Amino acid sequence: MHDSILNFRSYRYLWVSILLCAGSLTAYLWHDPIGVPNGGSWLGYTLGTIGAVLIVWLLWFGIRKRRYGRAIGTARGWLSAHVYLGTSLILISLLHSGFQVGWNIHTLALVLMLLVIFSGFFGVYAYLRYPALMTRNRASATREAMVAEIRELDAQALQLADKVDKSVHDAILRSIQNTRLGGGLWAQLTAKDDSGQALTRLKEAVTQAATADKQHRSGQTMVVMVDFLANQANDVQSDTLRRLIDLVSRKRALASRVARDIQLQALMEIWLYIHVPLSLALLGALTAHILSVFFYW
Amino acid sequence: MKWHIRRVVKKGKGSVSYEEEIHFGDTLSIGRAADQAIFVNDLRAALEHATVTVLGNGRYRIEALVASGIRLDGRLEQNATATSGSQIEVGNTRITLVDPPKDFEAAVEVSLVDKTEVAAREDAEALPMTLAEAGAGKRRAAWIGLVSMLIIGLGIPLAAHYVPTLRIATEHMPMVAINAWDTGRLHDAHHTMAGDCQACHGEPFEVVQDEKCVACHTATPAHADPAQFPLPDIAEARCAHCHRDHNGNEGLVRNDQILCSDCHRNLTERIPNQTLLTNVEDFGRSHPQFSVLLPAWAEDGSFAPVRTSMDQIPLIESSGLKFPHATHLRERGVTSPSGTVNLVCADCHTAEPGGALIAPIDFEQHCQDCHRLDFDLRIPDRQVPHADVAAVQYMLDEFYAKVALEGGYDDVTAPVIVRQRRRPGQPPPSQEERREALAWAQQKSTQTTDTLFSGRACGVCHSVSKDPAAVRGGWQVAPVRVAGQWYEKSRFTHNAHVTMDCEACHIASQSQASADLLIPEITNCRQCHAGEHHQELLPSTCIACHGFHQSEHVLPSANL
Repeated sequence: MHDSILNFRSYRYLWVSILLCAGSLTAYLWHDPIGVPNGGSWLGYTLGTIGAVLIVWLLWFGIRKRRYGRAIGTARGWLSAHVYLGTSLILISLLHSGFQVGWNIHTLALVLMLLVIFSGFFGVYAYLRYPALMTRNRASATREAMVAEIRELDAQALQLADKVDKSVHDAILRSIQNTRLGGGLWAQLTAKDDSGQALTRLKEAVTQAATADKQHRSGQTMVVMVDFLANQANDVQSDTLRRLIDLVSRKRALASRVARDIQLQALMEIWLYIHVPLSLALLGALTAHILSVFFYW
Repeated sequence: MKWHIRRVVKKGKGSVSYEEEIHFGDTLSIGRAADQAIFVNDLRAALEHATVTVLGNGRYRIEALVASGIRLDGRLEQNATATSGSQIEVGNTRITLVDPPKDFEAAVEVSLVDKTEVAAREDAEALPMTLAEAGAGKRRAAWIGLVSMLIIGLGIPLAAHYVPTLRIATEHMPMVAINAWDTGRLHDAHHTMAGDCQACHGEPFEVVQDEKCVACHTATPAHADPAQFPLPDIAEARCAHCHRDHNGNEGLVRNDQILCSDCHRNLTERIPNQTLLTNVEDFGRSHPQFSVLLPAWAEDGSFAPVRTSMDQIPLIESSGLKFPHATHLRERGVTSPSGTVNLVCADCHTAEPGGALIAPIDFEQHCQDCHRLDFDLRIPDRQVPHADVAAVQYMLDEFYAKVALEGGYDDVTAPVIVRQRRRPGQPPPSQEERREALAWAQQKSTQTTDTLFSGRACGVCHSVSKDPAAVRGGWQVAPVRVAGQWYEKSRFTHNAHVTMDCEACHIASQSQASADLLIPEITNCRQCHAGEHHQELLPSTCIACHGFHQSEHVLPSANL
């Protein structure tokens, strides 16, 4: 089976987390605190300490992953432990609090922690799923190569268009200007590209040229286009137009793949923009939580 | 219209030369076609790409003839107005609108756009392809998150701690200032202090001190004699060890079994020869038999109950009263002046206003309807007072003296002066007659008193004795105690048991004599109650009946 962050060393850290959770749960069920279960009992303090140490250790992953080759263990091992031990925090923190929540910094820390963990779950999904999708989408090309190919196709298209008709040339010119690869956050995540429009405009331009040519102002685009192509006196021009449509279609396919590539990469990264800032916010809330409970012991 | 067109021709190594020409016409055409005023040799230009028209006052109208538009000052435009200094770009050609020289209405400068410049611009205009390029950043957001949490969670609450006005201003704002630190709802008993953390929390990083508790709870009894059993030796010393707030209405007062059984399960080993208490761990499994307070009286007549184990045989209650419950509760009822009455427990036994104990029996209220204290058949409505031996004698002395002096008392054993009715106008009795009458009265009173005490009235229910040394009277009634506190160490309340039948605990209908103690012992309670962890019976911890703070000594710290 393929070795992933989840099954690293035969699920070593899954077992560690299960043991940790089972131990905590057993202690919680066995423990008979004064009053109701809460963070102030000896078990509450113990689970709280385990939780706080885990959170700091999980945050350390952000530093560890940048230390290539001069740290203990492999990055994959650390990530596997990061995922499983991070997940175990859900139970440990809830047991620590005795399932008590309120409008306070303590529950805010809990909520931040849960948001960090659940955004991390998306990250695990993204890391396991998107690389394969990206590879398949790129079809053994690189994004730079695809972008270069689009530029090349644009140049070829302009040359061909010039040979057909000035309205066709204008349509191609406009489509080159309007080709949008990438964009803002939303555009990247939704994989928007305008390459589809280029083909439509080209067809419109051909239709326009044809109707102008034959004084034929009615009829459907495709019919008119085929008609135009079929009736072209100049075989060379007709052939050029076919090649042009082929070029624009190829460009469209390429642009879509680039947009999808950008989208997949953005999806693979976007959760980190929630995971990382929130984990630092959690560090702040956790510090406030710990200091405040001992300030008013 | 006369246009001045100046072409900039690059000659390599940075040197340039200019070619000038004049164009006549309203508009200046730009395009790849040969007939254009400004010829653009680039496929990116249309044959007829754009026109520039003079509007006057140094302003020009720029019009693109193709949908792809033209680049005016870096922006793509279809139709725009420009002034001198503006740059139009079509394909590889840049046309700059300049101030016309003398004798010209309009002027442009035409040059080729540098390839490196185009590449740089394309790079600059390339849309972002990664989130980082799109301006998304983690570092800034992370810092904002970290710092804002520290401000909300530490900075503002700390400020409110040290600045009372800020604390008061934010007192009712959830999540704000010190409220952000609130670890949970206070017990209702402490809610008045909800906004004043320092009422309990003193120095920072110091646990809640007992002094804060006893500032209000001044009269809290100790658990045991503080001199003999100092609290730090017998349990965790702090109030807050047991009393933990911020857990709502639960948890502030401990009622778990371990609170007591921790020490009391092996108390005799823990403090050998220092305690009279026996070991106890669990009400159902390990609890000594109850010890009841049996009524008794000291030499001086004061009530001095004797604590006696319910296991003692025989167990005799000396209430001082002769009262067969069975007779009063028999099914056929009891005969009363108003007919046959079927008595029930509540006819005589009612709870005290607090509901904990049963109120004492009241003769006038509960007994007198049947057990009348009348003393003379001729005046059946008159009764002697109850519970006051001396008052009985006084009343009868006075009563018969009056009767004797008034006369008309129909008794053949009485002297004539007593029997004779006085008539109006008749002379008053003589001294001799009065002496005779009063002598009879005293004799009659003594005789009636003796009858009442010895048999007919008092003796029915009470143990009555007579002082042999007394010349007259000398009757004594033994003290009585029929209701009160039987178990002084527990907090039993009838209130919590009102739904039960009295006979479930007090088997009165079978009791023939008042010597039968009708107070239930431990097995009776264990029919329903058991220890904290019992699965079937009612789990009852020590605190259900006993109090932790029930010593007669007040907590020593309360005297600080």
